[in-house]
Amino acid sequence: MRNTWKAAKLDLALVRPYLKVICLTMLLPIAFAAVNRSLFTGVSFAMCFVAMTTGYPFAVAEKNHMERLYGILPVKKRDLVLGRYLFVLMLGLLALAVSLLTQPLVLGAMGESVAGGDVLGAAVGGLFLFSLYTVFQLPGYYKFGAIQGRMFLYLPVAGFLVTLFLLPRLPASAMAAVTGSSPVLLGVLALALVVVMYGVSIWCSVRTMEHKQL
Amino acid sequence: MTNYLEVTELSKSFAQFHLHDISFTLPKGYIMGLIGPNGSGKTTTIQLILNMLARSSGEVKILGLDNLAQEQQAKAAVGVVFDSNYFSDDWSAAQVERSVSVFYPNWDGARFAQWLERFRIAPDKRVGELSKGMQMKLMLACAFSYDAKLLILDEPTSGLDPVSREELLEILSEYIEDGEHSVLFSTHITADLERTADYITYLRHGELFYSGGKDEFVDLFRLVKGSREELSQQVKEKALGVRTFPTGFEALVKTEDLPAFPGLCVEPASIDEIVVFTSKEGGGDHA
Repeated sequence: MRNTWKAAKLDLALVRPYLKVICLTMLLPIAFAAVNRSLFTGVSFAMCFVAMTTGYPFAVAEKNHMERLYGILPVKKRDLVLGRYLFVLMLGLLALAVSLLTQPLVLGAMGESVAGGDVLGAAVGGLFLFSLYTVFQLPGYYKFGAIQGRMFLYLPVAGFLVTLFLLPRLPASAMAAVTGSSPVLLGVLALALVVVMYGVSIWCSVRTMEHKQL
Repeated sequence: MTNYLEVTELSKSFAQFHLHDISFTLPKGYIMGLIGPNGSGKTTTIQLILNMLARSSGEVKILGLDNLAQEQQAKAAVGVVFDSNYFSDDWSAAQVERSVSVFYPNWDGARFAQWLERFRIAPDKRVGELSKGMQMKLMLACAFSYDAKLLILDEPTSGLDPVSREELLEILSEYIEDGEHSVLFSTHITADLERTADYITYLRHGELFYSGGKDEFVDLFRLVKGSREELSQQVKEKALGVRTFPTGFEALVKTEDLPAFPGLCVEPASIDEIVVFTSKEGGGDHA
């Protein structure tokens, strides 16, 4: 675990020059939430944006030929992969926290009421969407690299557009039935799915990394 | 004698290239030059030693530690310098320390500062702003800061000016002075090895041509020279390589074959000449 943490810190050092951009991607969705007067849309947008920044450590490492540094560090390749997942997950959780703290305040100031259930729903939904994007992005970046695998950068945009397209089309009664019948169970199932998806994604990335020439 | 590096029957197959059964040992306290023309397998060998590349077969031990089963402990004892920088260009030298030091339990911050001072690298200087020579020194400063017992350098002198090359060779000689450190030094600039290397491992077309003492290696060969009329069929057959000029010829021969060339001018061969002659197709079998 210590090596995973060290690897995550190394990734933080890699993206340090881009921290301003990352912060901006976390704050920009506030405007989106305000325009749409919807916390869920704002949080979805935030998670889409931040998922697009998960390619930064790959891009910086590739640009600087840092695979050789990874090759000589006294850690297992698995630890390097786990460290990157930890870094990405922390980035996602930070974006989620920023969104959940700021967007209800802005919406409240605009006269929109945001209930505790809305916040909880947006939190679980946002985490689920972020996971859905990144579990495909990260193995893609490991397999193809940041440049060849740049199509994975746009995966969250596609996901977000699909979400925007589908949400209004879902019957309100069906939404209410799903979220209202057993919201706790739904949340637990979503979190369990997140864990399983990350498990499979990490396994794929580790396999790719272990067979890769550094 | 303790070996800091033991490579046994190391092989790796690619579609277009095969590294075949490479075996050599580097004892503690010595410098070994890993030589061979471009594409002979030097970098592949180094990547296999560092497990940056999955091997097809063979075994590698670093300070007695298996490079796969005990990868972490083995790598913690190895410092590596490549032909180009492997840190982010955006990092400062201080940021390099902050990012890398956490991985090495033996990291000594004071020692790193001393090396930066000696190399005249300002801690706030960005890596991307350093010259190639300075970037190489930064990689060395890192390796020295956790007291790497084995230093592996892959073509470190390529692209360096003569002053920086000379400086590097001095640093390496200083590094092994206490008898507790060893260096594996891959290069195709064999002049660098004439003074510093104790051992030579020579790869040719992915195969081991020679591994052993440098002086013994040089002593295995002689350069014979003569006029064009003296270039007999026997010389052509016995020589490992022949170069002809309008005025005569020179040929590399095995020292043991010298009695077959009476009357010809005999000179010692440099490592460079040995590599050039033996790298050509049909340039002799393993010495």
